[in-house]
Amino acid sequence: MLLHLLVLAPFAVALLMVATSGFDSKSTSRIAILFGAIFTALSIRLITVGYAATSPIEWFTLPGTSTTLYYSLISQGINVWMVFLSTTVSLIALIAARESFGNNYKNFAIGIFALLGAMNGTFLASDAVLFFFFFEAMVVPAAILIAAYGGKDRKAAAMNFAIYTLAGSAPMAIALWYLLSVGTGSSAGHLFMAYQGVSAPIQTLLFVSFALAFLVKTPLFPFHGWQAQAYAEAPAPLSAVLAGAMSKAGVYGFFFWVLPIFGSDSSMMNLMMWIGLFTAVYGALMALRATDAKKLLAFSSMGHLGLAIAAIFSLSPTMIPAVLVLLVAHGLSSSSQFILTGVAERFAESRELKKMGGLAARNPVFGFLFGFACIAALAVPGTAGFIGEFLILLSLWQVGPVPAILAGLCLILSAVYMLRFIQAVIFGKADKVETRPCHKISPFDAAAVGVLLLLLVVFGVRPALIMDSLNGATQDEVVADMEDSEDVF
Amino acid sequence: MIPLWLIPLFPIIGTIALTTIALSSSGSKQGPAEGVTGAVAVFFPLLSFVSVLVLSLGMPLEGIRQTLGTWISLPAFQVDIGFLFDGLSRIMLLFVTGITTLIAFYSIGYMRGDKSFARYFAYINLFLFSMIILVLSDSLPLTFLGWEGVGLCSYLLIGFWHADAKNSKAGNKAFIVNRVGDVGFLFGMLCLISIGGSALLSYDYLNAWLLNPVSAEMIGTAMPLLSLAGILFFFGCTGKSAQIPLLTWLPDAMAGPTPVSALIHAATMVTSGVYLLARLSNLLVLIPIVLNVILFVGLLTAFWAAIAGLFQNDIKKVLAYSTISQLGFMFMAAGVAAFDVSIFHVFTHSFFKAALFLGAGAVIHSLTGEQDMRRMGGLIKKMPWTSLVMIFGFLAIIGFPGFAGFWSKDLILEKLYVSGPMGPFLYGGALLTAVITAVYMGRLIIMTFFGKYRGSAEKEAHIHEAPATMLIPMLVLSIGSAFAGFLWAGLIPGAEIFREMLAPVVGAAQAHASSAHAAVHLSPWVFAALGTLAALLGMFIAWKLFMRPMPEAKGDGEPEGFRASWTFAFDTLHKWIAVIPTKAMAWFLDVVINNIILAAQWLTMGIIEILGDGVRSLQVRKVGLQMALSLFGMTLVIALVVIYGGLL
Amino acid sequence: MELQASYIQIVALLLFAIGISVTLTRRNVFFVLMGVELALNAVNLSFIGFAKTLPATASVAGQILPLFTIAVAAAEACIGLAIVIMIFKSQESADIDNYSNMKG
Repeated sequence: MLLHLLVLAPFAVALLMVATSGFDSKSTSRIAILFGAIFTALSIRLITVGYAATSPIEWFTLPGTSTTLYYSLISQGINVWMVFLSTTVSLIALIAARESFGNNYKNFAIGIFALLGAMNGTFLASDAVLFFFFFEAMVVPAAILIAAYGGKDRKAAAMNFAIYTLAGSAPMAIALWYLLSVGTGSSAGHLFMAYQGVSAPIQTLLFVSFALAFLVKTPLFPFHGWQAQAYAEAPAPLSAVLAGAMSKAGVYGFFFWVLPIFGSDSSMMNLMMWIGLFTAVYGALMALRATDAKKLLAFSSMGHLGLAIAAIFSLSPTMIPAVLVLLVAHGLSSSSQFILTGVAERFAESRELKKMGGLAARNPVFGFLFGFACIAALAVPGTAGFIGEFLILLSLWQVGPVPAILAGLCLILSAVYMLRFIQAVIFGKADKVETRPCHKISPFDAAAVGVLLLLLVVFGVRPALIMDSLNGATQDEVVADMEDSEDVF
Repeated sequence: MIPLWLIPLFPIIGTIALTTIALSSSGSKQGPAEGVTGAVAVFFPLLSFVSVLVLSLGMPLEGIRQTLGTWISLPAFQVDIGFLFDGLSRIMLLFVTGITTLIAFYSIGYMRGDKSFARYFAYINLFLFSMIILVLSDSLPLTFLGWEGVGLCSYLLIGFWHADAKNSKAGNKAFIVNRVGDVGFLFGMLCLISIGGSALLSYDYLNAWLLNPVSAEMIGTAMPLLSLAGILFFFGCTGKSAQIPLLTWLPDAMAGPTPVSALIHAATMVTSGVYLLARLSNLLVLIPIVLNVILFVGLLTAFWAAIAGLFQNDIKKVLAYSTISQLGFMFMAAGVAAFDVSIFHVFTHSFFKAALFLGAGAVIHSLTGEQDMRRMGGLIKKMPWTSLVMIFGFLAIIGFPGFAGFWSKDLILEKLYVSGPMGPFLYGGALLTAVITAVYMGRLIIMTFFGKYRGSAEKEAHIHEAPATMLIPMLVLSIGSAFAGFLWAGLIPGAEIFREMLAPVVGAAQAHASSAHAAVHLSPWVFAALGTLAALLGMFIAWKLFMRPMPEAKGDGEPEGFRASWTFAFDTLHKWIAVIPTKAMAWFLDVVINNIILAAQWLTMGIIEILGDGVRSLQVRKVGLQMALSLFGMTLVIALVVIYGGLL
Repeated sequence: MELQASYIQIVALLLFAIGISVTLTRRNVFFVLMGVELALNAVNLSFIGFAKTLPATASVAGQILPLFTIAVAAAEACIGLAIVIMIFKSQESADIDNYSNMKG
């Protein structure tokens, strides 16, 4: 029931929001935030429940095959936290959006709820086609929101985003259909068995088709062309959702689908690890040169997720908790950074780093939060980011020294660009903003971001809060569970 | 017995309280009430100091251990949050909390009137918390928490006056250079994990494993990895303790408020590298090659920084290079496996260097921000107490007989001499450095306090003695720099309390190391006499060279020509090794690779768009035709079905 | 002379042909709509004509279907005209070829 609620209720709420007033955005925002809070509470409940699965409901039989598809959801160690991220970040986005959208708030909330439902569906689906359905469904509200609420080049950014991600996952649809037609079911275990039965060149082709969808979504080099532009043009609350929750769908897809199905192909796994590492270094170096605040954050996000991908494909025993903690930490810190950058953008009326500065002196509360968020993002021990990055370093070290050294290089580079970012935004003289009336960060925004940052510290001191979700359901066991429950299907 | 976690708890409460004050008062024009804020800021470090004192008095010989809980718990990786209070951490904690309390007290006077008064003390409390965690932790990962934490506070405090981009750049540099060293620390931990699992990260377990004869064979096979771990930990220490090659950040760190320079960049944080070496003494003595590296890096650093100290005109920069040089002495001591001596020098150095910095702070304060020594002079008449403190610190650092530095520096020199066949050469190098130390410190004292005042007239009118809140800590520290050395006065029989306190921690390692080479016996009086001679010689040279009228001050005080290339040798090295390649790489990726990708993207989109445009031209503006076509198509389909329907 | 079923079909066919040809050839959007309506009603007529050939019990279906179609056509005409008026307002042209600017 909980799972159904988390996936379907957001769509229902999105429909409900259609009925709300478009002129009284204050009351609209109240009801939207209320629903957002309920979903967050549900996701916390899901974390305490841990492993759960719904009884499968027959959906349809794929034409041309004998495979029946089911509407079936499953929750276990990793994806409960992904759902937590998507609900929390959506809630924060709904709160932060109060400041920016005025009478357009209603439509923004509709989009966010639709996106939330799609994200939760992506994270919770245990049927490959259902997963793919939600995976594609995420693109639509996100693209519409970018196109409607974004910055100057919003149309191009939304178009680029939609075409890139939809075209990227098109091969996966074909590969999925092929696997379903030669196999007997649509869970990861069934797909794995189907994959075992086909010839080697086709296996490679299938892997490439699957990987492409997630390479684009995460994104990894060289398929990151859409990302910086989309994150930069999207309104800050939406960027927070995109970076904090939606980008996890790609990593999650690698982890939950690519790894169980194609995990036996060690040369491809190795290749993916190197792509991840290269992306990490690439993202960090690009962030070093970025002149646009949101693009800097986009590249930083790309670098961190590259590290996560590299860790996944290192296949080390410490990889699962490492990736989980890193994803949670990155989700919290990147979303708070995007929201704070949105506030800074309002203060400075520009996204250019050159035009910002001096905000700490003008607005100490904002400066405190911003500095805190950036320092948490560069993985200082005591924050969750450190646990994630250290365990990732450990995982990569077990593969060999070179991957670990590259990851260590990323640690240094992340310090370089983050400090540069802090300096550009909150330090320095406030000469430009001096002429305008003094802005303050709204108390709601401050409280919402403050909670995220507090969570980062709590998880940094007690990572067991996250890692305990993994006890009893590691990846192998989940796959085994799916195979056991074959008779149910 | 009070629990150990109280010690770090107090400063973190202080941090939270002061942060709250800082944020809640941020809206008001005049800032927070300085009396209350200052009281809170001193109170919590003081509580910490008192609890350390109470614990020290009742500490059993083997130390106190407490585990709060697990931090990271995985099948392959297990780390606890645990504290270890033993001889080594006791000494470190005593002077860390004590000096922090004193300097917080001093800062009330120094920072008066600053709008960010509360923020400053929040950072100081956070720093104390991190430093306590660093010293008190019982495992490497938790030490690392403190290790990066102090680096973070150092960054925040260097860039404290962040309206000036120069300051925040200096802070960035400090953090980034430290980060490079920290990554070395992380990799050292990874090496240890590879050797014996995460249990080896705990100090107790590591020592037990290293000293256990059963594991000798395993240690033998793991020797390459163990040596690598030793080098990497040392690399981490070079970052934090500003040794070659990662020393460039410390002179720039002088951009921070002067009490911060005294506390973090002289007395406490920069010595944490020496602390870590002492902590890992049992590991390091097994790998002589690493010890030799430490020894030579220490010697080179001490010598290089002493020369660089001669070239500086900024009073704080002189002290910064002198700190680097003294840290080099400590590393030399660690390099010859005399870890207790190195910690003893850390201890005495923290008194006299803090006194010197606070004295310099008082001078700068009374000259309203003037730091160039060429515009000082003759201050002894106007600031007698400050001069006294500075002169005490000066006598201590050059090793004048009886003062703190005399005892600790002498011990280092002696240990260098008896360390082995290379001993006399090392001794000579270190003694030469000691002479140079006396020269540049003499220059500092002479240029600041003697001769004629050379600054502007309006500043001269303003010169005043420091207020009491600043004077009291200075005097306490100067008393320390006069007498702290007697805790281990080599010439006085029985005055070895310090050595005895450290023996349970580093004794085994030093016994192991000293059995490796034959001891050389020379009377300690010979070393004492030579050391004194070096100090006197240096003072004499300084008096001869600098006790005369100075030329008119020109420029901004930065060294020029050969002096600049000596001073900035390592900055240049970093620039060519790290900064430029990184920038070039980033440029290549951004300008070349990224544009290739974008071009490919545009090309694909362009082709599709051209194709789409072509197809679209069939569609537009001829609705009737299109309907006719679709009707025709439908008719065709129906006709086909009718004709061939039976076959399908 | 009894009304032959084939006569009705011939009329329906004629009407349909007129409707289609109006739809295809006229460019004024109102004529196009009228053409569509005409073709639709021709189909209705055809239905009734065929219903007449069946026995009374079975012919009911053929007579009910046109009723549905008329209802739907009324709704469709309503919406269609509303849309056309909106487009006309914005484009200020009744020429159907001017409406085809569906470029992205």
